[in-house]
Amino acid sequence: MYADSITIGLMSSEIILVGMAMFIYVVGAFEPKAKVWPWIACITYLVVLVFVPTYETPLWKQVVANGVSLNSSLIIDDLGQFVRFLAVPMGLLFSLMIWQRKDGELASERLGTLMLAVVGVMLVGRANDLTLLFLGLEMVSIPTYVLLFLGRRDRATAEATVKYFFLSILSSALLLYGLSFLYGLAGTTAIVGTAQAPGIREALSGVGTTTSLENMTPMATIALVLIFAGLGFKIAAVPFHFYAPDVYQGTNNTNAGLLAVAPKIAGIVALIRLAILLPAAVGAFAWQLALIIAILTMTLGNICALWQKNVRRLLAYSSIAHSGYMLIGIAVGLAGGAGGLSGALFYVVVYAAASIGTFAALTYLESEDKPLQGTDDLAGLGQTQPLAAATIAAAMFSFSGIPIFAGFWGKFGLFMSAVNLATTSTNRTISTWFIILAIVGALNAAIAAAYYLRIVALMFFYPSRGALPAEGGKASLVATVACGLAVVALGVVWNPLMDWSKIAEQKLSQPGKVAVQIDNSDAVATR
Amino acid sequence: MDIARLLIASILVPLFGAGLLWIISPAGRDSVRKTALIVTLITLVLSVMVVKAYPKNGVNGDGTTEIAVTDIAWSGNSPAAFNVRLNLGLDGLGLWMYGLSALLMVTSVLVSWEAITDRPALFYGMLLLLEAGCLGVFAARDIILFYVFFEFTLIPLFFLIGIWGSEDRRYAAVKFFLFTLAGSVLTFLGLLAIVVWDYKTSGAGVMRFSISELTASLGKNPLPANLQLWIFLALFAGFAIKVPLFPLHTWLPLAHVQAPTAGSVILAGILLKIGTYGFVRFSIPMLPDAAAECMPWILWLSLIGIIYGALVALAQGDMKRLIAYSSVSHLGFCMLGLFAFNKLGVQGGALQMVNHGLSTGGLFALIGMLYERYHTRDISKLGGLARRLPVLSFFMLVFTFSSIGLPGLNGFAGEVFILVGMFQRAFAEAPLATKCQLMAISVLSVSGVVLGAWYMLYLVQRVFFGPLKEEIVGHGDHGQAAHASATSHAAHGHDDHGHGAEEALPDNGIVDLKCREICALVPLVVFMFWIGLQPDYFLKRMSPTLTKLTQGAEESVQKTVQSQPSPATRLTQMAAENGEPDRVR
Repeated sequence: MYADSITIGLMSSEIILVGMAMFIYVVGAFEPKAKVWPWIACITYLVVLVFVPTYETPLWKQVVANGVSLNSSLIIDDLGQFVRFLAVPMGLLFSLMIWQRKDGELASERLGTLMLAVVGVMLVGRANDLTLLFLGLEMVSIPTYVLLFLGRRDRATAEATVKYFFLSILSSALLLYGLSFLYGLAGTTAIVGTAQAPGIREALSGVGTTTSLENMTPMATIALVLIFAGLGFKIAAVPFHFYAPDVYQGTNNTNAGLLAVAPKIAGIVALIRLAILLPAAVGAFAWQLALIIAILTMTLGNICALWQKNVRRLLAYSSIAHSGYMLIGIAVGLAGGAGGLSGALFYVVVYAAASIGTFAALTYLESEDKPLQGTDDLAGLGQTQPLAAATIAAAMFSFSGIPIFAGFWGKFGLFMSAVNLATTSTNRTISTWFIILAIVGALNAAIAAAYYLRIVALMFFYPSRGALPAEGGKASLVATVACGLAVVALGVVWNPLMDWSKIAEQKLSQPGKVAVQIDNSDAVATR
Repeated sequence: MDIARLLIASILVPLFGAGLLWIISPAGRDSVRKTALIVTLITLVLSVMVVKAYPKNGVNGDGTTEIAVTDIAWSGNSPAAFNVRLNLGLDGLGLWMYGLSALLMVTSVLVSWEAITDRPALFYGMLLLLEAGCLGVFAARDIILFYVFFEFTLIPLFFLIGIWGSEDRRYAAVKFFLFTLAGSVLTFLGLLAIVVWDYKTSGAGVMRFSISELTASLGKNPLPANLQLWIFLALFAGFAIKVPLFPLHTWLPLAHVQAPTAGSVILAGILLKIGTYGFVRFSIPMLPDAAAECMPWILWLSLIGIIYGALVALAQGDMKRLIAYSSVSHLGFCMLGLFAFNKLGVQGGALQMVNHGLSTGGLFALIGMLYERYHTRDISKLGGLARRLPVLSFFMLVFTFSSIGLPGLNGFAGEVFILVGMFQRAFAEAPLATKCQLMAISVLSVSGVVLGAWYMLYLVQRVFFGPLKEEIVGHGDHGQAAHASATSHAAHGHDDHGHGAEEALPDNGIVDLKCREICALVPLVVFMFWIGLQPDYFLKRMSPTLTKLTQGAEESVQKTVQSQPSPATRLTQMAAENGEPDRVR
């Protein structure tokens, strides 16, 4: 098995990142105290973000010109590209957040590990093979275990790491089990196939198989449930959410931020890739499952968050609730409605921007000896740290879906898809349930506003209780402000991104369209 | 210059003004407030130019009722994306509210001049953001753009109440925000459902968000009755909380009392009207059948609000609370007129929206000025202030008379139209049960006028007339001196029979209105007299739009009357059924 020039070209970003991660690891072992590693990491991300697309995009466009294209285990489509362009800035922002940590000798390990997790997210985005998809997800998880454990040695950290480690492994096992059913049904690990070599998508929509769809239903249902269980853990959906508050609380703000964002992006994308394969074989149970999980997740997350006194615990429940919103989109997609998957995709971005902004601000505000714990510590921040406070406030308003912040358009897309499906569907059950889903979602937005406003009120309406150390470094502040601006900018100029996510969905959900395997003249496609 | 550009500029100027304030904030309070004043004045000039351009009879040459229309894609223009547009324009309904917003903002800046010492740049910045939001709400012609402005107004007011309010401000700010948000998220779903229904039935092939297109389309393909009712209820949730209608009003007195003066002025003057505006803009024209069906219910709620608000206002010892409850009562009148669905009622309701903004905005401003001087709003601690503060008392009287509807002032025009409209509705042909209800509502609503006069005059009498009483709370040295002089004056007055009025008051450091404060109030008075003496000038511009918006609901009411037997036939039928039960079986 060897790769050709097209594959190398398409993978150039990932290759550069993995190479740089290795470089940082290896050379970092000899020069642990050098201040240069954060610079190198950030420059790498910038290079990937700026120069590689200029090289890659023409190639990508050429490859994708005849519809969805495959290249060995990669699928080249807008969804994949969307996720990759989301993952790289995420890596950049988190690198900024770990810039200033005192235990300088661990900087290279942190940065390299983070870079690998970013590559994991990017791989999940364009995996067209169950194996690659699973490897991508693990490439997100395993660096996270390391990051959780690096540096601190107290009991809370140990508990958080161990809890996350074991539950994550359990969820991976569940997911693998689910994937094995998919393999059993289709006889291949390729997700989207070509006319010559049908993949799981073709098999599960009844093309080119001898088994009828009805006979597939039991196994497909088991696969769906197991996939939801496995990926539900990654996105912290009820009932697989309970690790999140403890783990977030036990670790530092940077890691909590990473946990809130990276697995969420990977999980939602994997869910989009996998779950849409199944409705034809599973039937109505697919959307019912997603809908129930969505309702439970957002309601439970929001209600539990109301009583939290610890910042990270509160944000953990908030991140659970936001998974619930994203699942609205997944449920709509599973029920055959348009706009749901793109709504979830758009929501991931606005959620990530606001989340990273909040955690970056918290990182900036604390010092390693005096970590920020209670929400009360934020009191009076509006006067002592206006920039950080403004960013947190913008993020909170965005989380609660108030225009002109990005979160409003996220909710707009999701609610629109649910209302659209409910109004246009001829199926009465679907109409009823999705209108209930929309109403529950809307009311949840109001419940959530209660605790988000509490944070804003603390920062601006209460006097300060002693200045916070604010030793997170200038770099964290840069990340904070960048995210704050992104939250506002995406609220004002939301259409291009919404547009792109819609295109990604449209390209994705064209079941009749057979993908084209790129002719690798000098290569053997690996199967 | 192009009117449409002026309209956009009037919304952008305060927005950029807020940014400018942030930049110049290190320069100190004085330059900040001066800049804020200049920005609001520029906005006012721009908005006056826009309002003046509106056709005198309310209709353009081509039969449309909108001017200054801008319609540009929000960002990018791809067929895949949502076609939400930056679609702005003014018609007869939004016209005066838009103008009023620009006017009251100047007043707000002027009344905050001395009162705000803490973080002035943030305060005036929030005020300017609020101004942009208010102007945008009334100018938005896109359903989502409307909602964006509608929700956006929450954020600045949340900060205004929460940072610069009175003791209980934090609770008030959060309660205000959550109450309004809880309702408006349901409104949002309702608006989305309207868009989707249009998408499904119009055959346009794309989702349309333009309010005028949607109204026209829903006129052609009306929603089925049960769906209309659901969507009406969803819209009702947000708008009724904003108005506020009776059982949903509990956030209002709290927010009003705790808000800083400027916040109260804007909240009462403009933000509450977004609720009534929403009803006329969306609920009534887009869901006429549901509106007709819900009419008696909404009228009952409005009536309860009128009487309940007035009675509670009577019992208040705090001036600001009193005015806050009077708002509940007055907004009930607006709703009464708007849901009468006939020409007079709707015009009265729409006019009363402006009237209430002027009078209650002015009253809140005055109470703020009193509070700056005496540091109390307690009615029982003040008295006879007409001697100490004649100019302030003059304004107070004018605003009071405007509020209670003295002929010649604006309140009279509005209330008369509303009541006449309501009686017309009650006398119109209707099924017996409805007719009885409407009659009862019309008759009882008149009591609201009487009660309104009672509590307002009671307030004026206690605070501004009678023996001078100036109890000063927490005013430092001033307070001590003033208190002493006030008591000494009372003792003095006993010896000197009847000559108290002529004698000079002892100076206690409390001065009458300054030029700045008079400037804040005079425009309001001018408009009160203008509307009172020449209501036609204002009504003519509104009338065609209002007719267009409400005729669907009026027709729907008539349709139900025709489909049901008239009371007389119904009675004979009932008699026949009772007389010959066997045959019926």
